[in-house]
Amino acid sequence: MNGPSVGKFYGWFTALGLLVGLLVAVGYYRDEYRPWKDYQRRFIREEIRRATTPDQRLLARNTPVQIRQILLPELNRVDRCTTCHLAVEDPSYGGFPQPLAYHPLHDQHPFEKFGCTICHRGQGRATSADDAHGHVPHWDEPMLPLKYIQASCGQCHEAADNPAAPELARGSQLFETVGCRGCHKLDGVGGNIGPELDRVGARRSPDWLRQHFLTPAAVTPDSGMPPQKFSDTDIDAIVLFMLSQTGANLPGFYASMKVIPSASQGRHLFQQKGCLGCHSIGGQGGKVGPALDDVGLRRTPEWMMQHFRDPQTVSPGSVMPRFGFTEAEARALTDFLLHLRDQKVALSIPALMGPVDRGRDIFAKYGCAGCHGPEGKGGVPNPNAKTAEQVPALTYVADGYTKAELKGLIIKGQREIVPLDPHRPAPPLYMPAWGSTIRDAEADDLVAYLFSLKPKGEDLGF
Amino acid sequence: MKNPLPKRIWLWFAQTRVGRSVFRVGLPQSNLERSQAMVSSFLLHVQPAKVSRHALRASYTLGLGLISLYLFLILTVTGVLLMFYYVPSTEQAYDRMKDLQYVVSAGLVVRNMHRWAAHLMVLSVLLHMCRVFYTGAYKQPREFNWVLGVGLFLTTLGLSFTGYLLPWDQLAFWAITVGTSIAGYAPLIGPKVKYLLLGGNVVGQEALTRFYALHVIVLPAIAGLMVAVHLWRVRKDGGLSRPDGPEDSVQSIALGQLPTNKSYGLMELARGTTPQVGLDPDDEVFTWPHLIFRELLLFLLVVAVVLFLAVFWNAPLEEIANVVHPPNPAKAPWYFLGLQELVSYSAFWGGVVVPALLVTALVLLPYMDRRVQGVGRWFARERTVANTIFSVCLAVAIVLTIVGTAFRGPNWSWVVPWRAPPAITEGP
Repeated sequence: MNGPSVGKFYGWFTALGLLVGLLVAVGYYRDEYRPWKDYQRRFIREEIRRATTPDQRLLARNTPVQIRQILLPELNRVDRCTTCHLAVEDPSYGGFPQPLAYHPLHDQHPFEKFGCTICHRGQGRATSADDAHGHVPHWDEPMLPLKYIQASCGQCHEAADNPAAPELARGSQLFETVGCRGCHKLDGVGGNIGPELDRVGARRSPDWLRQHFLTPAAVTPDSGMPPQKFSDTDIDAIVLFMLSQTGANLPGFYASMKVIPSASQGRHLFQQKGCLGCHSIGGQGGKVGPALDDVGLRRTPEWMMQHFRDPQTVSPGSVMPRFGFTEAEARALTDFLLHLRDQKVALSIPALMGPVDRGRDIFAKYGCAGCHGPEGKGGVPNPNAKTAEQVPALTYVADGYTKAELKGLIIKGQREIVPLDPHRPAPPLYMPAWGSTIRDAEADDLVAYLFSLKPKGEDLGF
Repeated sequence: MKNPLPKRIWLWFAQTRVGRSVFRVGLPQSNLERSQAMVSSFLLHVQPAKVSRHALRASYTLGLGLISLYLFLILTVTGVLLMFYYVPSTEQAYDRMKDLQYVVSAGLVVRNMHRWAAHLMVLSVLLHMCRVFYTGAYKQPREFNWVLGVGLFLTTLGLSFTGYLLPWDQLAFWAITVGTSIAGYAPLIGPKVKYLLLGGNVVGQEALTRFYALHVIVLPAIAGLMVAVHLWRVRKDGGLSRPDGPEDSVQSIALGQLPTNKSYGLMELARGTTPQVGLDPDDEVFTWPHLIFRELLLFLLVVAVVLFLAVFWNAPLEEIANVVHPPNPAKAPWYFLGLQELVSYSAFWGGVVVPALLVTALVLLPYMDRRVQGVGRWFARERTVANTIFSVCLAVAIVLTIVGTAFRGPNWSWVVPWRAPPAITEGP
């Protein structure tokens, strides 16, 4: 053979071959060793320890170490949380340290139908703790702190008056009374000075939201939003409510769970379905069906439920149609009727209220208080506005405007606010045009309410 | 001297009945068998029985062509493995990436290998082209093989670019959006090409389907075929380019003038300066084992490097593609960032004129530069002008790419990477 010897190559072959072998081994180890396997073995050891009969022991010993997952095709999710959290359904693991703790309260929300991440967020497909809990780069949905967990209820259920999620209900109520809608749109209702809030809960972290309420400019430098003076519990509730606004569009089964029966849900339905067309309360309404004022005394809840399902079965010959209410809706209506003896409940039906009272609700509904203060008393800062750097109070509008002028102002808005000092930035807050949002009758009621704000005995003005 | 164990096992196997039926020639022991080993093997016969000693010099080739080929093989194998799990659907693609990472055995490592090998291949093909240029190896009779090489370079870019979209994450989506909009700047045909590539006006399911088909069948088939022709021509053009030395007294020999006392196989009747015809025998060595061993060693080295990267560094995977939230800045894959930087000055010049001129110049190069001096040596003095022009173009491309990669922040504004501003939070 000519040419130099190739003997030196054997050493190189051995060295590189070993290096490749070593890398394959390291790769294999890193792929094969996963902490969830340790958790599963810990669980199996615990099960063996607890076994009392040989059969149980055998069963425990034969538990396979494998990925466990809940497939949720409707939600387009795969939750592998139970790969580590193996004992979520076993009450005997109550108080056990994580990841083997029991998860209480799931009778209404069975795991096989809901999984975990739909409420807790995080990354369901992941099988390592950090990735699964979602506090990693490039994952938008980290786990929701337990303090705010009720926010998740709001994805399927109405936030207001939800007895199972009191924090959420409180947050929702705050949102409506503080007047956030004056500037922000939610579900298509609200002003356009600030951004829409329909997806804010998916975009913002709890910390960001909290900071934003207390000092908006700290997180959004050019924000014109006035700092909010919330108590500690109020801020938790409003942050929680914001977190519930994820814009998630949940499919069939989940969306149908919206109504959690409550008297106020029933009141809402009663109004919406036009029951007053045939029935009356407090002498107002139709005469076709019986008056309902004391129906709670005359009928049992069971009777009412059956009546909503199919009127003919309990009142043969009744002309009331079958409305096809869901069970939840029927229960909500029943609750409402049982509460009718309470005057306040009855009088809160808009159709039964006078224009001033309706106007007061509309003032709240569109968040006017957010800028004009509760009951239009003012006091909200609007830097560099000529009106004492505040949004004007509404207490004396009856002196400055006719009803038609005031209605026109509400509908057309006032984009330009006269500045105190033309060299400083324009005032951030202005009057949005409500014409596209508010109904004509609502505007009339609102004007009636605003005119009623003027303190009594000051009719002469100046 | 006692043979090492692997060799002894090989020797034993090669002389068994089965071994002989497979390899025909056992482990070659004589020069005749060394020739036969090459000629009788399908996989080896693209190479001659003997090669010029010059072709073995690592300092001459740097092994770059072979490295590119090996990376292509690694990409094919890992790519097929990934195909077992991948679904080219906007609904599923991203989830499949997550499943590869979290539940598929070795899924992450295979994806990492594929990703890093792809980047390395773009690099090695580019460097291979530089090597061929700086050694003047594209000259007569290898002009057309250079053209094929340019085609392979573009095909490599196409393979990498089409693969970039498949994970369907933010990185993929916006890189392809930016990359295809660069294509759209060409006059007249640009928008058509973009529409044809994407199957629409924006990146969506149609684009994903097309990129997938291009990535897993069309471009690999083209690349495979071109690689075969490329290698075949290396052989037919007389092996690797080498300098015209005083010892190289080769002339083309007409068939009628061949010595009659020697018989030639068809594979030896190649054009021009084949090692078999006319070269000083002392300047050649047998391909087996001298070249084959080196090739195998290089293969092990390439596998080791790719494995090393894949085991310790994960391929990027960002958030799922979101049509309404472009990252700022949205960047094309790194090998197009030089172009994107140019486009930021002028869409027409950067997106159309410069790349078109570059490709045209590369294709025409061997036909314009026809002097045959300076072949087979790095940076030959006779080629100073050509080398300078090429180096300047290369340097500009590298600088533009580095600027586009590291020095461009939100709205393509100038940033200094070690003092990067905090990432812009999305608008409320």
